[in-house]
Amino acid sequence: MWGGLMKTLSVDRIASKGIAMGNAYVLQKQDLSPENYEISANQIDSEIMKYDNAVKEAASQIEILAQKSDIFTAHLELVKDISLYGGVTNRIRNELQNAQVALDLTAAEFCAIFDSMEDEYMRERSADIKDIRNRLMRLLKGIGQTDLKSIQDKVILIAEDLAPSDTSSLNLDYILGFLTELGGVTSHVCIIARNLELPALVGVPDLLTSIHNDDFLILDAVTGKIIINPDDSTIHRYESLKQDYVNKRKELERSSFLPATTIDGRTVKICANVGNIEDVRKATTHHIDGIGLFRSEFLYMENSHFPTEEEQFTVYKEAASLCSSELIIRTLDIGGDKSLPYYKFETEENPFLGWRAIRISLELEDVFKAQLRAILRASAFGNVKIMYPMIISMEELNKANEILTACKCELEAEGLAFNPDIKVGIMIETPAAVLCAANFAKHVDFFSIGTNDLTQYVLAVDRGNKKISALYDSFHPAVVQSIKHIIDAAHAENIEVGMCGEFAGDEKATTLLLGLGLDEFSMAAGETANIKNIIRNSSYEKAKECAKRAAAAYTLQEVKKELSII
Amino acid sequence: MVSQKITVTNKSGLHLRPAGELSKIAATCKSNITLVKGEKSVNPKSVLILMSGGIKCGDEIVVECDGENEEQDLKTIIDAISSGLGE
Repeated sequence: MWGGLMKTLSVDRIASKGIAMGNAYVLQKQDLSPENYEISANQIDSEIMKYDNAVKEAASQIEILAQKSDIFTAHLELVKDISLYGGVTNRIRNELQNAQVALDLTAAEFCAIFDSMEDEYMRERSADIKDIRNRLMRLLKGIGQTDLKSIQDKVILIAEDLAPSDTSSLNLDYILGFLTELGGVTSHVCIIARNLELPALVGVPDLLTSIHNDDFLILDAVTGKIIINPDDSTIHRYESLKQDYVNKRKELERSSFLPATTIDGRTVKICANVGNIEDVRKATTHHIDGIGLFRSEFLYMENSHFPTEEEQFTVYKEAASLCSSELIIRTLDIGGDKSLPYYKFETEENPFLGWRAIRISLELEDVFKAQLRAILRASAFGNVKIMYPMIISMEELNKANEILTACKCELEAEGLAFNPDIKVGIMIETPAAVLCAANFAKHVDFFSIGTNDLTQYVLAVDRGNKKISALYDSFHPAVVQSIKHIIDAAHAENIEVGMCGEFAGDEKATTLLLGLGLDEFSMAAGETANIKNIIRNSSYEKAKECAKRAAAAYTLQEVKKELSII
Repeated sequence: MVSQKITVTNKSGLHLRPAGELSKIAATCKSNITLVKGEKSVNPKSVLILMSGGIKCGDEIVVECDGENEEQDLKTIIDAISSGLGE
């Protein structure tokens, strides 16, 4: 256990609360570019043999993967392909290139052929070729595979950053917590960690240079510390701290069956954010007033194709029946930092300002219709509501609703059951939607404020950019005033406003949001008991006063002072 | 050389999986095989080349086999394509 000197790293912000102790598993960043050297004529045979061995080894790796997923059966044919093999070996033989360079150039040629094909499906196959190329390149360079599926012990996972495609291949039973060097508290890995109620810290400076594989770690995501190779007394201290933390959580849980009503009688809804059926099951074990956000994109990301209407219907129906109260399903919110393994997105200069969310749905109408039909059909089994993400204009809302109406007509003609009066709401997460909130409020049944994107867009601060992460702050007067404006606009039309961004689960923001009049707080299920407890001990009248002063503040410091955060 | 026309009927055309299936079968054939679609000819023994032919459902293609065992090979390929290639 004693692997080196004890060392401590600190971070300011907690991505997902909790305490974990265990060994580090460092996910190495890999350089998969070819080494550039020429070979001599007498090395040709040995260079070809190197490639032969790489192909053999890759094929046996893929054979194992193919037992679990069909996609890899096809990869097996690709890796053994005669024209790929011919291309590589010809380059070695005729141009005296080494195997790495020969593979790199041959694979690039094939990718170019597929990239230029008319058929969209075929264009996307260039990703398969790249996958094969990377697998072979790792073998040629002698680097291990980054197959997260191979983790077989309980570990704290350490990485520069984790993409949705990385985490979707994780066996989560083995993960004690997450640490990443990049990323802000709203990045993908944080959302996953909070849903799983696993501790995580992100944006940790010098993480990868400080921690090595199998270092023993204490991940303290309560105060924001990482202790590397702690001594015995520190370990003992943390064992009891961890126990205290668990006990406190249990205590909060015990009173959480009570409604979220303030001491002066204002009741709000406390809901959970979820990404899949597992999350719904977990969330319903807490005392919640519904699912305020079902992130349907995970259904799309953890799949090998656009999920069909039937596939989605099965999931939504099960979620609706698990959830006795409301279930708000957000339609596909992809693009930005979230991509799909089976769909090739064009490279964009500014993906967060690019083709994402509702913009994609309105263009890929068949994909959108399959989802709307599935949600509508599920509405026959529970209190299901629809929510459109990233709306910026009435035109978008009208277009989306037209498609929804068309789906209703189809279902009616087919004799399939659905709730004809299904409630439809929008996410308010763009400055455009904030400014036009009063107009939107006349045409939708509810709002949900997405504070992660709203903060990023209102402040023009990239939420994944470490260099400016200090500027990303939802307590900024512009964000606070936006939230106030949205809530006032909604209440003027008697519609409910929820919040499903991270801010809703931030205990420092509870008084502010309560005082501004927020009707529904939706957050990671693990946070609900704590926020409920705070609300039950709050006075609505006092919170209103406090929020009024905070919304009138000129600086970030003043906002925080009014809310007694500093 | 022997040849025969056939219409591709599997619904996704010669996508990754069916193309992989066909190239596996073609690789067992001794003769030289060419699939001709319009002006494009592709060698089905390579799944990459085969897919680059962009053959879709409903396309009429000509299968040509040339060399040792050509009769038998043509039948094998035609049977494979008409069976829907596992789809």
